[in-house]
This record gives sequence, structure tokens and C-alpha cells, in this order.
Amino acid sequence: MKSNAGVISVTIVALFLGVLAVTQIAAQDVYSRSLQLETPASLTTLIANLSERNNAIKDEILDLRHRTDTAREAIASGKGSLTEAERQLSQLRVFAGMSATSGAGITVRVEGTFDERALSDLVNELRNAGAEAIAVNSVRVGPRSWFGATADRALTVDSVAVRGPWQVRAVGSPEVMYVAMTRTGGIIGQFELIYKGTRFDVSRESALDLPALATPLR
Amino acid sequence: MTTAPSPERTRLTHSLVLLLPAVLFGLLVSVQWRTQAERNELTVRYNTPLLDAAKTLQNEQSALKVTLAELRAQLDQIQTSASTQSDAAKDLQSRIDGLKTVAGLNERSGDGVEIVLDDARGAAAAKDVEKSICHNTDLTDIVNQAWRGGAEAIAINDERIVGSSSIYCVGSTIMVNGTLMSPPFKVLVIGPQNELLATYDDPTQLRDIKQRRDIYGLGFRVSRATGMHLPPYRGALNVRFATPR
Repeated sequence: MKSNAGVISVTIVALFLGVLAVTQIAAQDVYSRSLQLETPASLTTLIANLSERNNAIKDEILDLRHRTDTAREAIASGKGSLTEAERQLSQLRVFAGMSATSGAGITVRVEGTFDERALSDLVNELRNAGAEAIAVNSVRVGPRSWFGATADRALTVDSVAVRGPWQVRAVGSPEVMYVAMTRTGGIIGQFELIYKGTRFDVSRESALDLPALATPLR
Repeated sequence: MTTAPSPERTRLTHSLVLLLPAVLFGLLVSVQWRTQAERNELTVRYNTPLLDAAKTLQNEQSALKVTLAELRAQLDQIQTSASTQSDAAKDLQSRIDGLKTVAGLNERSGDGVEIVLDDARGAAAAKDVEKSICHNTDLTDIVNQAWRGGAEAIAINDERIVGSSSIYCVGSTIMVNGTLMSPPFKVLVIGPQNELLATYDDPTQLRDIKQRRDIYGLGFRVSRATGMHLPPYRGALNVRFATPR
């Protein structure tokens, strides 16, 4: 009788143990990415990013409404819509990197050890900050551009070697891009921790001249 | 001939049999409690209004993108009908259409490869969470590799990658073109299949991702795909500071 009680106790404990072990493994098994688990700081950054995106879309909606009305009126009055078509063409040529481009922006100077993945991350960060056109040294970065490296430590943009010190120039809002690059915990701060000894300088530019893509896209 | 164990010895054996499970039980209870406590700290009351704001903005963005697409279609229609009026207009319209295609503003169909990237599942994932989950930099590396392999069009979970696209990470949330996403990520690439497969198979490329797949179970799979349909880019063109020369 006494022996049976012992067996029952051990069985109950073992059952609990099993349930808990499974629960614990399941808890560690799937890394949850629910928005609900984000910190207030992350959510605030996320909200700022979404707001900026939405504002850019709203601006473009207003612009498109105006252009649609203007084009309709021009056609109705027999003038045709060449002006609108020319405007659209020049906007697309900038967007696709097919025309040399000017404008205000920033320059990121990199002197020292750097690699192609970091260059790709830098370009990604500039695009997220609203860069409208980017060039590395004298090579324009296009919609299908890729980054690589050569055996003699040069970097490549679409197979074209670009040697350090590198100048990554981006046309866009100088203030927005400058703050995005230099903020505490931002990409330049992270680079400075990873590439010790490499010098990173970010400067606002009132006028930048970027070349067009060397090989037009097809 | 065997002698029966003494009552003291039997009690000791029973105690020892119960001791080990009891200790493990205690350990698991405390680990479970700590896990629960950490989660509760993260879901603090301040998150609720922020969470609501983020969801509202994301829904607003989806609606804005629909309006933007409708307006672009309207303007296209006006332009196309006007282009029949003169040769100059026809020529301009043809150049616009060509640029839209290469810039990712038109839908694109074709063959290529499909890459699936996912967080590790199972016991291997618990070894090192950082190395077993996907990061935005993994996606930028995969996209970079696709362009290197001759890709003509790329989309990540239905978001078309264009010249202004960014793959951004805030906390554990990934945004592509401002759209919130979570794994698994399906990267559709239209382009020359053999060259694309060769570039992903190259052992000198994407070493970090491949190593994490082999050690920590990160999901990374590349396969041939046919008859894919990639949507056009639906975001803003955002050309305000740049002027053509």
C-alpha cells in the first residue's frame, strides 16, 4: 500500500515535469515577432517611419490629382498632353538612374577598411532616409545595382571598381538624411564600432552633381 | 538467499527517487515563471496606444497605396489616349512605358527562382536566437545576390524592389517599402534561372546565411520557379530634390 502511494507520487511529479518541459521548449522554439512584443522605443521609431512614408504618398497623391486635372484640361482645349508626358519622363529618368542628376543632399566619406556588405547596408539606409539618387565615387547606383569586392580590396558597383577613400553621395533632404546617418545608434555609429580605425564623415551638401548609369537598363 | 532491505534504507531510496524530479520540477517552474515575467514587462501599458497608432498608420498606408495606383492608372489612360494625337506624343509615351518597366512600376511575369527565408524552428533555434532568426541584412544580401546574378525584377512578400526600396528593421519588425512584414519571407526573382541558381550556390557568397542554416537551422531555400507574377511598385516615387541635368 505504502509502495503504491510512492509510485503514484512519482508519476504525478513526472507528469507535471513532462508538461512543463514541453511548455518551456515550445516557448523557446518560436521566436515571436509580434508587434505587441516591441518596446515603446521601437514602436515610436516604427510610427515615425510609417508617418514619413504616408506623408510622401499623400504628397504624391495631391501632385497626381493636380497633374491629372491639368492633362485633362490640356487635351480638352486641344493642346495635347506633351507637357505632362515630358514631366513624367524626366521624373522617371531620375528614378531609374538614367539621367545625370543634381540637387541638395549629403556626402558620406569613408576612409579605411570597409566592405561590400557595409556599402550595401549604407545605400539601403540612405534609401530608407529618402535618398532620391545615389553615387559611389563617380559610379551611379541604379535600381538593379549590386555591390562586390575585388581581390585587391577595391569595392565594385555593378562590376566597376571603386577604390577608397569612398565618397557616397546622395541627393535628397539634407537634414533628414544627415540625422538618419548620424543619430545615436545609427548606421555610422555602428560602423565606427565595427570598423575601428576607419574614418567616417557625413556632411550636408547644397549642390551635388551625380552621373547617370553607365549602362542604361533594358 | 537474500536479505530484505531495512525500512530506513527503503525510505532513503524512495526519497532519492523523488528528489531528482522534484529539483527538476523546481527548476522548470522558475524558468517558466521568468519567461512569463519578461513577456509581461514587454507588454507594458504604454505600448497599447503606440501599437494602435502603428496599426492605424499601416492600414492608412494600404488605403493610400490603392488611391495612388488608381490615380497612376487614370493618368496613364489620359496619356495613352493623347499619344494617338501626334508622333511626338507617341514617342514620349513609348519611352515612358519602357522606363516604367525597367524601374519596376509595371507588373512583371516570367521564370526565375524563389528564395524562402525563415526563422529557425525547433531545438536548434534555442542555441542562439540572434543567429537563428532572419535579419533585414540577410534580405539585403539576398537581393544584392539576385541583382549580381542578372535579376530583372524582384519582389519580397509582394513588395516590388525598386531604386528607392529599403529593407529596414525596427526591433524585430522588418519593413520593406514601408510595409510591415514578418517571416517567412518569399523572395521572387525573375531572371536567367541557371545564372541565378549558380550565384546562390556559389560557396563564397552568402556564407553567413548558409552557415546559420547549417548550424542553427535558419530557413534558407532556393528553388527554380516558373510563371511568376510580380506586382508593380506601389509606393511614392519621391523625386523632390533631384532634378535631371
